[in-house]
Amino acid sequence: MIMDDLQKMRSPRTLEVWKLGTVNYLKSLKLEDKLVSDRKANRIPDTLLSLQHPPTYTLGKRRTDHNLLIPEAELKGLGAELHYTQRGGDITFHGPHHAILYPIISLRSIGIGARNYVETLERSMIEFASVYRVKARAGHKGETGVWVGDRKIGAIGVRISSGITSHGLAFNIDPDLKYFEHIVPCGIADKEVTSLRRETDTMLLHSEEMMMLCGRKILHSFWTTRRRSIKTNSPSGLTRFNPV
Amino acid sequence: MALRMWASSTANALKLSSSASKSHLLPAFSISRCFSSVLEGLKYANSHEWVKHEGSVATIGISDHAQDHLGEVVFVELPEEKSSVSKEKNFGAVESVKATSEIISPISGEVIEVNTKLADSPGLINSSPYEEGWMIKVKPSNPAELESLMGPKEYTKFCEEEDAAH
Repeated sequence: MIMDDLQKMRSPRTLEVWKLGTVNYLKSLKLEDKLVSDRKANRIPDTLLSLQHPPTYTLGKRRTDHNLLIPEAELKGLGAELHYTQRGGDITFHGPHHAILYPIISLRSIGIGARNYVETLERSMIEFASVYRVKARAGHKGETGVWVGDRKIGAIGVRISSGITSHGLAFNIDPDLKYFEHIVPCGIADKEVTSLRRETDTMLLHSEEMMMLCGRKILHSFWTTRRRSIKTNSPSGLTRFNPV
Repeated sequence: MALRMWASSTANALKLSSSASKSHLLPAFSISRCFSSVLEGLKYANSHEWVKHEGSVATIGISDHAQDHLGEVVFVELPEEKSSVSKEKNFGAVESVKATSEIISPISGEVIEVNTKLADSPGLINSSPYEEGWMIKVKPSNPAELESLMGPKEYTKFCEEEDAAH
């Protein structure tokens, strides 16, 4: 028993990174459910999904649909979908050039709780923004997320089930901000939404590379501060999950 | 010894938390506040719920350690009265800081009462996790399940070990 514990302490923590491209929201939910169940059973290591969604509005567990400002039928006319989820947080929009990262990790095995986890996600986005010389900050009380001044650039909505995380963060690299006009983003009225494109003069990399950089910031925040090594793989079995 | 271990694991946590955390501003005499309280007379699950068994009724809530790690609770989802709960299966959820976390039932039984105050005052879970923040009252279907839960001393050690694990 003691030898097993020592072995666990010595073996490096692995994070598998899956680059999925553009994925339909429902498909990504199904994938996350499966991965959460696999992670809970220790069949897979901690996993990070890196993807984008086609235009999609999502609501959290509290179903705050009063923050949707147009009828659902009109959303469809805009070419967007609406989904209700079990994550925390209010209404938000995801679309092309909106970096989404869903860490499927065991919080119990790193010994942190929800608050610490969310703060780490915020910190990762702040560090990522600083690479582009954008000074971002964590939200004030009741305004979780990442802000540049009074403009929101990054959102968080997480679900924790038996200590395993799903959903995660969304960072505005260069999305079409007009889509946000149809909602009260994250339930916070009178605050603007912004993007990295708007806030920096620095040339932006291709979306994929940007997302990997953002992902790496998360790894740094979680793992290197705990002096653990990281292995990132893009598994070759990606084709089993056909992105739309 | 336990005090030193706790202090060092707290120090580690503080290095990692954001500058928005006010824990590092607490004066030394308040260090004891950083220790989550563990109440005598209760049983605890390793998913951080507590059970108070009195006669044929078991009251369930989440521990001080749990509420501290969650952050400010803004929403609580609880089951209906007369529904049943099962040991180690989730029966509800709390939302805090944009995260919804499931609550796992430590025992099986029938829900006989739900704390309706939590709908308007979810923060009771933070301010009074063992008293006003109780979540459900259950008629246990298998009282023997309580035997496999942890006592206060065991649970305290469990929390220390979990926090020191990083």
